[in-house]
Amino acid sequence: MNILVCVKQVPDDYVEIRLDGAGKPATAGVEIVNNAFDTYAVELAARFCEANGGAVTVLTLGKDGAQSGLKNLLAVGASKAYLITPPEGDADENCVAAWLAAAVQKCQELNDEPFDLILCGKESTDEISGQVGAMLAEKLDLPFVSSVIEAMPIDGGLSARQETEFGYIRYEVPTPAVFTIAKPGYDPRYPTIKNKMAARKAVIPTVSAAEAGMEARPARVVCLGYAEPPHRQAGVKVQEKEAAVAAAKAVALMAEAKAL
Amino acid sequence: MEFKPVTAEILEQLSAAAPGRVFSGGDISADYSHDEMPIYGERMPEAVVQTLTTEEVAAVCKICYDDDIPIVPRGTGTGLCGGCVADQGGVIIDTSKMDKILGYDKDNFTVRVQAGVLLDTLAADCLAQGMLYPPDPGERFATVGGNVATNAGGMRAVKYGATRDYVRAMTVVLPSGEIIRLGGEVNKTSSGYSLIHLMAGSEGTLGIITELSMKLLPLPKQTVSLLGLFPDLDSAISCVPQVKLAGLDPQALEFMSRANVAEIQEFLGKEVYPAKCDGEDVGAYLLTTFEGAKPELMDEIMEQAAEVFLENGALDVLVFDTPEAIRTAWSFRGAALEAIQAKFQLIDECDVVVPIPNIPELVNYANSLEGEVGLAIRTSGHAGDGNVHMNVCANDMDKGEFLAKAEKFMELVYAKGWELGGLCSGEHGIGRAKVPYLAQFEGGVIMELMRGIKKVFDPKGLLNPGKVCG
Repeated sequence: MNILVCVKQVPDDYVEIRLDGAGKPATAGVEIVNNAFDTYAVELAARFCEANGGAVTVLTLGKDGAQSGLKNLLAVGASKAYLITPPEGDADENCVAAWLAAAVQKCQELNDEPFDLILCGKESTDEISGQVGAMLAEKLDLPFVSSVIEAMPIDGGLSARQETEFGYIRYEVPTPAVFTIAKPGYDPRYPTIKNKMAARKAVIPTVSAAEAGMEARPARVVCLGYAEPPHRQAGVKVQEKEAAVAAAKAVALMAEAKAL
Repeated sequence: MEFKPVTAEILEQLSAAAPGRVFSGGDISADYSHDEMPIYGERMPEAVVQTLTTEEVAAVCKICYDDDIPIVPRGTGTGLCGGCVADQGGVIIDTSKMDKILGYDKDNFTVRVQAGVLLDTLAADCLAQGMLYPPDPGERFATVGGNVATNAGGMRAVKYGATRDYVRAMTVVLPSGEIIRLGGEVNKTSSGYSLIHLMAGSEGTLGIITELSMKLLPLPKQTVSLLGLFPDLDSAISCVPQVKLAGLDPQALEFMSRANVAEIQEFLGKEVYPAKCDGEDVGAYLLTTFEGAKPELMDEIMEQAAEVFLENGALDVLVFDTPEAIRTAWSFRGAALEAIQAKFQLIDECDVVVPIPNIPELVNYANSLEGEVGLAIRTSGHAGDGNVHMNVCANDMDKGEFLAKAEKFMELVYAKGWELGGLCSGEHGIGRAKVPYLAQFEGGVIMELMRGIKKVFDPKGLLNPGKVCG
């Protein structure tokens, strides 16, 4: 099975991002990394192909410099990688999905075979809109399952296990299909030195927006600004010596604050 | 010297010196009765004073000194040798609320801190300033003052040395209450006896450190960590000198056995270091970090280091080169002691340091004692600087029986460490638990010299009595 994973590069989510003087996220100096959910998607795809055959291609819409993130993925299970430069200007999720749809077609053309499955992380850790995967499926007119943590081959398609707040749902879809990936029960692998050195030496094909057939599109959703959450108020210390007395006092305080 | 008790009158005087921050009797938290190794004995102090300034520490010391009351300095109580336990009663001076970073002199690569600032806080703040605070002890919630007092080492000591190498100046309160300033924010000195280096590693027996000027370094531009997967501990340890001989200058170089790793995996609930490599069982691991100025240079270092690992028996080498991967690899290693603590009810440990080529012999010897001693033995540690952490552990065993078995292990392993040209402790210090072993290593003359030095600083023997040199 040929699997494409769309990977966004984001500021390292371990670093607490504050707003700068202009009210924009102050990301200067923060290392850019592959979005965590996208790395889960690559691992899921790699495991799927190891068990059932196939190959994993990774795609990033980004500027020159994004190659190193793609090379990291070539070291952990992806066999092909493409960097496609999107048109200039602000983009909303609808624009990105349209560009990704064009990029998918271009990657299929470059690979000289179609993809059976297209994966995105369920959300990116920077903007966390969680919309692009679903919109991409719409643009490509393909079946879509969100928050998948497991995919298995079945006759004529795939079975997908979706994680919900209440448990799991199993779906069956024909291929090709689009899934977004939640955190599975395992972590992405770390590369061996042999794979890492081979990946570091790889040349990542770079495709321009024009070559990929992408057009600049007006963003229909405009971000007006960011605001930090209010600072937490200082808490109340419950220092009773007896556990039962302390618990009773805590419950009384919460009731008084109408938290219960 | 006969110590006097803390009376109501003394408590009143202490309260005047540190209003609202004096605790006595049942108001003292049980945490103050021990450090991270309660097995060495617990005792509640008669009073605890949480100080905020050097002057408050001085005032408390003067009150105690004038009335012959033992004084025990304490940071966050993360020590491993009972060093901050008031085992002879008296007053604990808790400096953990003295936690301010006082300022940076970036042109001079120094930071001034109060002694109670946490290592974790200082390291993160320096990073945010684009600078590196090199000492990297595993316990991130220790105070910097405590790190200096024990000359704590940590993962990066193999390249950067231990905490004492970063102390430029310090403010110290003597037991009499006199305040002195040692050293200066200078790069070198040939100005008489180095009292600053005497104070570093003195474990609160000579004076109480209240402020510090610490040296910083420019932040390394690129880092990469490698994990060597070895079939057994012997091949992993034997590889260590080769890494250094190859001129690779690792920032950190740690070894772990499979048993350790399996316990960490169970404790954290995830696998980071693989148990198998191409179907073969992994028996031991070497984790190392290298740094450099440019990405191209890192490729070269990575290739060379991996070659050394593979030539010396590694089954394979994993690469951790993204921020998340490096964090994951090292936080896994950092959980080694916690994992042992979670699995075993009874633990004793020692941290003998030997010349690097002698590590395999010491580690293999310690591991071979498992049957003879009748306790589980876990060895891990700083392979790159010869500092081996050896834990003996048991469950469902009478404490007296455990202590007797642990003592047998300690006697054997300290004797081996001495035979191999080692020293009693690489970084945990002596506290009160290791005093007899220090005496074995150092001999009578040196112990007498230490006691003589102690007497100069503390003629009445009130400051942290019974620790380090007894």
